[in-house]
Amino acid sequence: MKAEAWIIASVSVFLVIVTPIYWIASGDPTGTTALVMAALLGLLLTFFLAVVAKQIPARLEDRDDAEIAEGAGEYGFYPPWSWWPLWAALAFGAMILGAIFGWWLFAIATPFGAIALCGWVFEYYRGLYAH
Amino acid sequence: MPRLRRGLIMTPVATTSVIPASRLHGQPNRPSQVTVGTVVWLSSELMFFAALFAAYFTIRAVSPELWALDTAKLNVPFATVNTTILVLSSVTCQWGVFAAEKGKVGRSGKIWQFREWGLREWFALTYVMGAIFVAGQALEYVELVHHGITLDSSGYGSTFYLATGFHGLHVIGGLIAFLLVIGRTFMARRFTHEQAISAIVVSYYWHFVDIVWVGLFLTIYALQ
Repeated sequence: MKAEAWIIASVSVFLVIVTPIYWIASGDPTGTTALVMAALLGLLLTFFLAVVAKQIPARLEDRDDAEIAEGAGEYGFYPPWSWWPLWAALAFGAMILGAIFGWWLFAIATPFGAIALCGWVFEYYRGLYAH
Repeated sequence: MPRLRRGLIMTPVATTSVIPASRLHGQPNRPSQVTVGTVVWLSSELMFFAALFAAYFTIRAVSPELWALDTAKLNVPFATVNTTILVLSSVTCQWGVFAAEKGKVGRSGKIWQFREWGLREWFALTYVMGAIFVAGQALEYVELVHHGITLDSSGYGSTFYLATGFHGLHVIGGLIAFLLVIGRTFMARRFTHEQAISAIVVSYYWHFVDIVWVGLFLTIYALQ
């Protein structure tokens, strides 16, 4: 992960240098805000990548002597199927439309949104997946 | 014969309920994909708030007399107390994460022995502090509306309510996330790696929303 951390760090350094120059040269608040936030974005990612790089040993893709076979095995948990994101998206869409067309629609959609969100978050904690 | 038949029927039932190791123990030596995904999403959230900050500073630059008039109506001491509560809630949230990393989901002592608290107690306290912050924001909105600052009263009102309102929605989203993490610890009989990661990514989100508020507080109340 060190390579990624250095790449993003160099972007952050560039933005930290360029931002005050831009502000002094232009006096433009909009662009300066965008540059400040972009610099913070770079620093956030640099911090995250550097911390993870310290926590874990070099990954297979970081090593020159790694073999393809070493990457075999379980990578993570990917839900094999789920209809809940669809119901959640429909309910949240109706809630947002409620903010535009009338709060009655928001009030009707909110319970459905709550059910869909709980169904999604707890799907692999129930039934066959209870543990 | 009956023994063999029972064995044949039992086997598929037993294998369907196996929970993957990545959920129970995680994948050591690899970054958690949930964590990486959360940080990517938080990056886009950062740029979303960048747009709100840019709008604030742009409109502020073109109408300084409006700012001088409307910022005088802000209740800075009240907002400072509210900000302190939110910043401290990040500390309690982090203690909940430390408990989760040790695999300590519930308290091992009495409720007032906070040193013995687990993830649930720390997150519940964080929830209460976040809820106090949202309630404080609502009170402040009422006060400002009485002073004539509304969403469509002026450019100041629009940027103020859009920036703090979108932040408030994020805090409410975080409150829901705390409840869902606590809910997961009660849904499962054992505390898994997946639950610990859920707690950690919710803490990332909470710290992020907290830092955005510190930026908004400095912009709106300190710098004005």
